[in-house]
Formats: sequence, structure tokens, C-alpha cells
Amino acid sequence: MPSEDSGINWADAADAAKSSWADQVEEEETVNGDLPPLSQSVVGDIKTVVEYKYNDDDKKVKVVRKYRIETQKTSKSVAHRKLLKKFGKSANDLSGPNRATTIISEDVQMQFVSTREEEMMQEQEDPTLSKFKHQLQYYMFFKNFKATAPKDKTAEEEKKPEEENASNAPSKYVPPSMRSGGNTVGSSMPSGRGNRDEQATIRVTNLSEETKESDLQELFKPFGPLQRIYLAKDKHTQQSKGFAFINFYNRDDAAKAIKSVCGFGYDHLILNVEWAKPSTPSTS
Amino acid sequence: MRPLMLQGHERAITQIRYNREGDLLFTVAKDATPNVWYTINGERLGTYDGHRGTVWSVDVNWDSTKVLTGAADLSCKLWDCETGKVINTWDTKSSVRSSNFSYCGNMINFTTDRQMKHEPKICIYDIREPSDSEPALSFVIDTKEMSKPMCSLWGALNEYLITGHDDGTMAHWDLKVGGELLHSVREHTALIKDMQLSSDQMMLITASKDKTAKLFDAPSLNLMKTYKTDRPVNSAAISPIRDHVVLGGGQEAMDVTTSNLKEGKFDARFFHLVFEEEFGRVKGHFGPINSLAFHPNGNSYSSGGEDGFVRVHQFDESYFDFQFEC
Repeated sequence: MPSEDSGINWADAADAAKSSWADQVEEEETVNGDLPPLSQSVVGDIKTVVEYKYNDDDKKVKVVRKYRIETQKTSKSVAHRKLLKKFGKSANDLSGPNRATTIISEDVQMQFVSTREEEMMQEQEDPTLSKFKHQLQYYMFFKNFKATAPKDKTAEEEKKPEEENASNAPSKYVPPSMRSGGNTVGSSMPSGRGNRDEQATIRVTNLSEETKESDLQELFKPFGPLQRIYLAKDKHTQQSKGFAFINFYNRDDAAKAIKSVCGFGYDHLILNVEWAKPSTPSTS
Repeated sequence: MRPLMLQGHERAITQIRYNREGDLLFTVAKDATPNVWYTINGERLGTYDGHRGTVWSVDVNWDSTKVLTGAADLSCKLWDCETGKVINTWDTKSSVRSSNFSYCGNMINFTTDRQMKHEPKICIYDIREPSDSEPALSFVIDTKEMSKPMCSLWGALNEYLITGHDDGTMAHWDLKVGGELLHSVREHTALIKDMQLSSDQMMLITASKDKTAKLFDAPSLNLMKTYKTDRPVNSAAISPIRDHVVLGGGQEAMDVTTSNLKEGKFDARFFHLVFEEEFGRVKGHFGPINSLAFHPNGNSYSSGGEDGFVRVHQFDESYFDFQFEC
């Protein structure tokens, strides 16, 4: 029990304790128990609108919205139109956008699609291709060199067009989604040059749902360069189905991967890795 | 960019149009109520109440005083832009498909559908004359010879009318002589859904169900460019400030199987005007895009979709900085 002469004015303290807005709202309520009215205030160029309402759980909620007021210089006719009285279904609207009709949507970015960029990326990502290109050059060079000596010059000239031909051989890059005859949902690496060494494909199963292509890349790249990673995803929800196909360039690398990763614990599940069965021509 | 989503219609959008100064956006849909919005913040100015059926087309005159709408309730109405009142109604025998003001704003044209044994008609009225007067020009298109017109545009200096038809034909009609067919070309293989002029009216772009959009020289109807996509194109527009065109489309709502509704997967595709190559896509709509329009200053564009939403996009820096590498 508080003593009478403690020096604390309990009445004042009680008033101070009522500083929470919920109590203020209780006080401001009108006789029939309605919510306090909408209020607006403008300070500088910020307009604040305070609204009280009941949310889905029937709790009283205070919603504060801040708007910045912008002033724009426009032509007379545009300015005149901005001050028009609203009509039709908007006749009863307040000034400013009505939230029922105007919503600020989520951020979207323009996705820049460029076929050239993809072609260049393709060339860079492929260390073994440049190795092959060099080998091809040397082969052609010496092949021609072996013939009569004067052909030296032509051999060099031939080398250059070979180089360019090799790099032009992949025809214009077609994004996987637009390629015919293949369901490549989930494919993350370019795979334009046909001949995907079927002998070096492994299937990984019992993947967790959160596993992404980048995780698979990190997991398997120590064993050798990867040609393609295909992570199976549900068409509608884009969630991982739990298995993936990994293509290596070398069968040996694939074999090493199977030995090492099979039985490996990854994100609370034990992975199963084995040789992939050859795929049928018609895909799902 | 954070697009404004305008939710004033209950059914699919059929057409959207900016006024000449770009501060107003007019949207019409299958729900019989044209809306007008301020483009600066997406605030709705008002609605034009009076039609009783799908409104297929809308146009506004150069000083934003009058609005013209054509609807499936067999009428074409002229409205006062600022108050929403009807100035005049023209009753027709079949649905009005496309309606346009001439450049000067004194004449209007509208085309009607082929319905209930009535052949499609093209009518031109002078709106300065009393409201019940006869059309300045009116002629019928015999569908045995030519398929029905889907969209129309006034040619430069009011000399001719350009129409796009159900089978992909485009025709020039001489307005001085009185409805004589000047010439027609058939570059598209399926129906033309939308035609829009460039800002200088020298070029026009057509969007067709044959999955392409084509750029034509307006006076001669010579085909200049073709933009290919993998879906029917419902609408196309030419940027007023850059060499870009935007295409929007998608399959009929009925053909689309249920897809993940969390993301709006239907996109507007941006092509380079001259090189005919796609360089950008903007997602967001939950249904096929039915109408596209660039803001007259080229800094923003809007799209209206089958989902009933109109999305107003303000371009980012990245769009303006983008240089097409060739």
C-alpha cells in the first residue's frame, strides 16, 4: 500500500500512464462506440493521414499514412484539368488517389534480353572449348604445313578463318525456353552445342527443397568442369522436386563425383548419386 | 520501377488511350464504364456512365474536351470530357468496334461489326453539325469481298482512312471522293487487333493474331519491319522519343491453363524499331495484355490486360541508358 506521505502524486502518474494511443482512443470514442474520425495534417510538404479501423482480428488498429506533396509546373490546360470536380463513380471521392482504385504495385524490373550477350557468355564459360579450339588450330596448321612449303602463308590464313568458323559454328543462340522439342524448365547453364555426352551424366536424388542450382554447382565443380546442371522443378510452384541431372564433360569426373557425393549428407538429407539412365527422345 | 495499378474495371480492358498532353489516361473495358485517370498519380477523375455493353474503343480530341466511345450496345457516344455528360449518341445496327477523332477534332469516324445480317459500316460524322444530322460519309463493306474491319485510323490531313481487317488485310479509303477503296495490302495472315500511329503520323504499327507486329509506312502502306513473337499480339505502340516499339499479347483467356497466380507472368515485350530484335520484357499482368500506349513524352507507358487492371509504368534510368548493341 502506498504511504500517504510518499510525495508521489498518484493521480498525475495515472494520467501520465495514459500516454498510449489506445487509451487516447478510448477517451475519444463517441457515445455510440465508433472509431475516432479520420484526421489529416500537413507539415511542410508531408501530409499525414491518421485512420482508425478494425483489422481482421477485430482489434482496433491505427493506420498512419504519409504522403509527400509534390508541386509540378505544367501547362495551363493541364493545371485546369487537375482541378476538375470528379464525376461518375468517383463523384464522392476525396482529393488524392482512392485506395480502392489506385494501388502502387510491387517493384518490377525490365528484363533486358540480349542475344549477343548470351552468345558472349557462352564462349567465356567454356574453358574446354577454347582448349579444343587451340588443338584444332594446331592440327590444321601442321596438316597444311606437311604439304609443300609455299603453302605456309595459306596455312596461316586458313588458321584464321578456322578460328572464326569455330566460333561462329554455334548458330545464333536460342534461349532454352524457345527451343523446340525440349522441356528445359530448370536448366541453368547454356547447352547449345548439341552432343551432351550422355556417358557423363549423373542423377542426384534426395535433394532438399531449398537446394538451388548454385548449390549443386559448388558441390560438383571440384570434380571437373560442368557442362550442364538440370534441377527438376515443379512447373507451377517452381519448387525443387528433389532431384537433378548433372552433366560433366569427362566421364572420369562424373565417376569421381558419384564415388564422393553418394551418401554425402547435405542439408539434413543423405544424397544419392548414380549414373543417369539414357533419356528418351520425347521429353515431358 | 513501381507501376501504378489502376483497378477501376471489373472486366477485361479493351483499350487505353492517353490524351495529347499526357496528363489523362482513358481506359475502357468490357464492363460498359469508361474511366479517366490522372497519369501523374493514378487518381481517378471520373467515369462516363451510359453505355450498356462492352466498350470496344475510346478516343479523345486534341484539347481534351470531348471523348468518343464505341460500344457493343449498338451505339457510339460523344461525351463531355470534364463533366462526364453525354453530348450525342449515334445509334447503329451492329456493335461499334473502333472509333476515332480526326486530327482536327471536328470529325469522327466509327466502324461497326458484322452482326445479325448487317454488314459492317464505316461512318464519318462532323460533330459541329446538329446531333441528328446525316453522316458526312457512310459506306458499307461487303463482306463477300472484304472481311470486316477491326480497327481504323485517320490518315494524315484527313485525306484517307486506314482500316485493319479480320483476315489481315489493311485498306486505304479515300475520303475526298467518298469511300473509294484506294488500295489494300495483305501482309498479315490473321486478324489485326490493333493499329497505332507513330507520333508524327508517318508510320503505323499493326498487331496481329498471327504472332507478329508489323511496321508500315502510313501513306503508302509499304511494309517496313516485322517483329516476331511466339504468341498472338494484341496491341503494339511506337515510342515517341526512341527507336523502340512495345508489343503485348498472349493467348485468349480461355486457352491459358491455370498458371502460378502469384506472379503476373504475362509480359510486354520491347523491340528495337529498326533491328527488329527484342531487348526487354516487363512482367506483371495476370492475363494477356489487350492494349498498350506510350505516354506522349515517352517517359512512361501503360498496359491494360485481360485481368481488368491497367498498369502505368514510369521507365527507370536503365531503360534510358540502354543502348542496343549491334
